[in-house]
Amino acid sequence: MTTPRSRMPVILPRLIALIVALGGLQQGTILAREGRVRVVASLPNLGAIASAVGGDRIELTTIAVGTQDAHFVDPKPSYMVRLRNADLLLVNGLDLEIGWIPPITQGARNARILQGAQGYIDCSAGIPVVEIPAVLSRAEGDVHPYGNPHYLTDPLNAETVAGTIAEALKRADPASAPLYEDARRAFVRRLHEAVFGKDLVDLAGGAKLAREAAAGTLDAFLDGTAIGGAPLRARLGGWMGRMQAVRGKPIITYHRDYSYFAARFGIAVVDYVEPKPGIQPSAKHLEEIVARLKRGDARVIVTRPFVEHRSTDLLAVRTGAEVLTLPLEVAGAPEATDYFRLFDYVTDRLVEAFSESARAGAR
Amino acid sequence: MMMRSRHARTGAAVLAALALLQEAPAGMVAAEEEIAGENIVSKEEVAALRREIRALRDQIRALQARVEALAPAAAPQAPPAAPGAAPEVPGASPTAPTPAVPRPAQSPNLLNPAISGVFQLVGNSSLRSRRESDGFSLSEGEIVLEAAADPYAKVNIVVTIPAGESPDFEEAYVTTLSLPHSLQLKGGRFRSALGRWNPLHEHAFFTVDLPNVLRNFLGENLRGDGFSLSALVPNPADLFIESVTEVASTGNEVAFNSRRSDPLFLERLRVFIPASPDASLEAGITGIYGNGGATEKLLQDIEQFGPILEPRRGLASSLQGIDLTYKWKPLTVNTLRSFTWQTEFLRSRRRLEVLRLPALELATARAWGAYTYAEYQFRKRWRIGTRLDYSELPDDPDAIERAGSVVLRFQPSEFQEIRFQYKRTGRNDPAAARFDGRASDDEIFIQWIPTIGVHAAHKF
Repeated sequence: MTTPRSRMPVILPRLIALIVALGGLQQGTILAREGRVRVVASLPNLGAIASAVGGDRIELTTIAVGTQDAHFVDPKPSYMVRLRNADLLLVNGLDLEIGWIPPITQGARNARILQGAQGYIDCSAGIPVVEIPAVLSRAEGDVHPYGNPHYLTDPLNAETVAGTIAEALKRADPASAPLYEDARRAFVRRLHEAVFGKDLVDLAGGAKLAREAAAGTLDAFLDGTAIGGAPLRARLGGWMGRMQAVRGKPIITYHRDYSYFAARFGIAVVDYVEPKPGIQPSAKHLEEIVARLKRGDARVIVTRPFVEHRSTDLLAVRTGAEVLTLPLEVAGAPEATDYFRLFDYVTDRLVEAFSESARAGAR
Repeated sequence: MMMRSRHARTGAAVLAALALLQEAPAGMVAAEEEIAGENIVSKEEVAALRREIRALRDQIRALQARVEALAPAAAPQAPPAAPGAAPEVPGASPTAPTPAVPRPAQSPNLLNPAISGVFQLVGNSSLRSRRESDGFSLSEGEIVLEAAADPYAKVNIVVTIPAGESPDFEEAYVTTLSLPHSLQLKGGRFRSALGRWNPLHEHAFFTVDLPNVLRNFLGENLRGDGFSLSALVPNPADLFIESVTEVASTGNEVAFNSRRSDPLFLERLRVFIPASPDASLEAGITGIYGNGGATEKLLQDIEQFGPILEPRRGLASSLQGIDLTYKWKPLTVNTLRSFTWQTEFLRSRRRLEVLRLPALELATARAWGAYTYAEYQFRKRWRIGTRLDYSELPDDPDAIERAGSVVLRFQPSEFQEIRFQYKRTGRNDPAAARFDGRASDDEIFIQWIPTIGVHAAHKF
């Protein structure tokens, strides 16, 4: 009969030998074996862009669903299994997924997609980030130290993200590089047409328009450039053309998640239902918003499917404000089946809400 | 002086404008090409565009001339500074607006680990009669450090500072990140992977106190110094199946003995089943094998009757556990509503010595215990839960404790929690004899847990 004490010297050397043997194997990771690149996207918007760029060359899995709060996805062990064999992990970055990507990447035991490895793709690279907090303190709520992470609410940022994803795919699967590049170009072309309208893109070039928009000089360009006596603005179509109707109009959002959208389409976010990011509104704060709404500072409130609706319901009842529950991500509403339909839907709903609220105001 | 700086400012503004305008010609050429290629606009329009470009070019030339005349000194500074380069000298020269790209702070602390801190203020009182343990205490504080050591490993350090005692490493371990075949090796001091509650630190508990079975079988918790090797088990259903093997020396005197040369061997298998997008089931089994020493009861008896007797230490002691967890967290409103039901059974088998004067006699004690906890989150910040406990004492299966608790948890934000708990305990006579003759008890608890520092990862 062996006692545990005599077992010990037998087991320890075996364990050590096993570990040493395995350690020798840890070098050398293989990206994209024969077949398709296995891509995991943290969020549906990234998945939609990856699908446009990667087409059928990639095997895509998206972790979060469109109606979910990207801050608070649960790090379920089943996600670790999905990441175990992934070649690329696409993340939004800027700490949006800080609560769940680190535990699932570590649990996945896949060195290719750990932060810092070649397969960990932070899609915020190259994005002009706004609202980087000057003071970092939790007294300001659940702040994002690297700035506002909801950059894909500006569709023009999808061009940068498509570029980042295309580069990652080319590295992982060099043989298909031309395919990825073609798909990226096609996506960007379609994106520019969707943002500015096909007419204007044909006339002035999507790249030029995107550059002007990025520099904040699009208005000057559209108004200052005339063709056949009419300024280019007359040719503006797409989402920007549609949103002309609500330019300069004020909205209130639940969370600070529409800054990029508002800047791109020229609407003004005048207040937030949350007093500070991630902090539930107090009765006092809601009273202040009621007062603002009654003063006419705004008539439209934008909220999300995943937040509590009691506060916004109360604001609607008390002030008659129009409350819109809009998706932030692809599949956040049944109509938002891809990244383009998402903005089709959101811009439609906003324009409609303002015209309704204007009618209500006139009555 | 004033004049110069104003000129320099104007110069910078013009430079910025110039930078924007210089983009124009290239863009316009592209536009022309597209126009020519697709042939969709009239010649008049092309001519209008050409005129526009010419006007813009003239404008640029004029601006360039003005800039050169205004601020000859400022010109060389025009290219954007490399990130982190050249610290700004206040008032020396105005810089053109730079894009809002986060620049790394110039700090020697940059590569320091992520640090967070947490403590618990606990108030506990019996409603029946006054006890020694009643009152408030800062039961424990923890400093948590976490960082990658290098590309191959990650280090976690939890320093605990129990009230009135000296700080100690609660846990300190290194975890490999890049072993092949889904393996992960952990080395250091860590909580044993026994079920779902034992690995939790006090601030992550569901209730203020430990389930009775864990307190009776393990003392505070079971942890050890040693190695842990875990692997994801491949399976056709692609389920998450994890196997954990541990070998560790423990200081736990309750279930085992604290001799370093008597290590524990642990094997755990757990499976996670995503029943639907909103609900999941997790099941685990754990077995731990080690050596125990003299029981508390034996030491008391020896002190009373036979101080010359020396109890043995190398007696087999083992624990087997089963845990089941059901979670319902509707994807869309997972921060607002959820339901968790967690149950653990624990069985203990100990070889032990009992005093039968004039000698010590060998015997085997088999005992079991369990808890079941159900919790409903009814608002974003509020949860209500209830726990039922059953536990025999591991060295005396005839001694039985039963308890029921109700807990209310309030989380003002992710970084704070306040818990209120009411607990009623009943004990049979042998158990009461071990707890100062208290056959039953009613207790209330209050606990306040603030957390500071980096955003901790969530748990599931």
